[in-house]
Amino acid sequence: MSRKPYQPPMPASWWLKHPAYRFYMLREATVLPLLFFVASLLYGLYALGQGESSWLQYLSWLQQPWVIALNSLALVASLFHAWTFFVLFPQVMPLRLGSRTLPAWLMVSAQWAGVLLVILALWWLLGGMNADA
Amino acid sequence: MPSMAIQLQRYLPERDSTPHWQAFNVEYDDSTSVLDALEQIKAEQDSSLSYRWSCRMAICGSCGVMVNGVPKLGCKTFLRDYPKGLQLAPLGNFPVEKDLIVDMSRFLEHLTAIKPYLIAEAAPQGQPHRQTPAQLARYKQFSNCINCGLCYAACPQFGLKPDFLGPAAIALAHRYNLDSRDSGKAERMAQLNSDNGVWGCTFVGYCSTVCPKGVDPAAAVNQGKIASTLDGVIQWFKPAKASRNKEQR
Repeated sequence: MSRKPYQPPMPASWWLKHPAYRFYMLREATVLPLLFFVASLLYGLYALGQGESSWLQYLSWLQQPWVIALNSLALVASLFHAWTFFVLFPQVMPLRLGSRTLPAWLMVSAQWAGVLLVILALWWLLGGMNADA
Repeated sequence: MPSMAIQLQRYLPERDSTPHWQAFNVEYDDSTSVLDALEQIKAEQDSSLSYRWSCRMAICGSCGVMVNGVPKLGCKTFLRDYPKGLQLAPLGNFPVEKDLIVDMSRFLEHLTAIKPYLIAEAAPQGQPHRQTPAQLARYKQFSNCINCGLCYAACPQFGLKPDFLGPAAIALAHRYNLDSRDSGKAERMAQLNSDNGVWGCTFVGYCSTVCPKGVDPAAAVNQGKIASTLDGVIQWFKPAKASRNKEQR
């Protein structure tokens, strides 16, 4: 008897089928608000090069509610992406001491500690600038 | 004995052009597995039902099916955990041969391609290859793979692009590359470095969730990306060195 295998279709909506796929798509979609953040950053650099009036126009553009909302979304998205990245890190680069692997929770905590350090360093830097002004 | 409604995806190639659902009722208790339920249906209700099985103890990897849309081993999944009923379908992403039987040849071709065996020089003077517990620990987890194919049914990249080597094949390539007795890494890297190798993976990670043996293929694939990057860097320098050696001769 001849064979007649049935090839199941892979519709464009495949990622709606399971929570694991939806979570993956959400993780990948964090790039969209980050794209906006990068674009507004580049706009700022351009405005800075165009002189004072252009820079002040950029600052007022930044203060519009929809720009603040999109940039806040970008912040949340980057923190969410960082969280998923930190959790996956021990899987990709397990650190070994002799025959033992460092526990995942330690590596994840160490990465968050790094984030906290960067935030504190930035806060100290920007606080110093304000004090001088 | 309580009974449970089971929806089974049937496909009879001599009669059907697409699969259809068929309802069955099975009696079950706390110890009834999905595989037991299938045996009950075949023995008492419909002898034309086709499915694969062998060991009944999560070692052979034959009885993988989709249970309510999730890849599972039939022998390791129990009806007591599904009080709302069951939908059983053949493993996703593979062509369906008949009922719950899929054609796994794509996976087996990928597995063969990465040479999943020790490629080693004979140990000196017929001695066994020695390995320390630390050397064993590096790859042991990845050696637990039973080739059941659940990770392929979970992998959307394999579904979208069947040429992707896929989770289990890459996990096994990684397993042998990490083995201190093996010296076949160079033969496997060409496969792993290609677009259908480790770089075909976007780290969905669901393969590791469904793995019934705790192999964590997503870890192997993504550790493989680091190995592939290092291999690429080494290749940049190698050809120049080889030609220089030739000139010297």
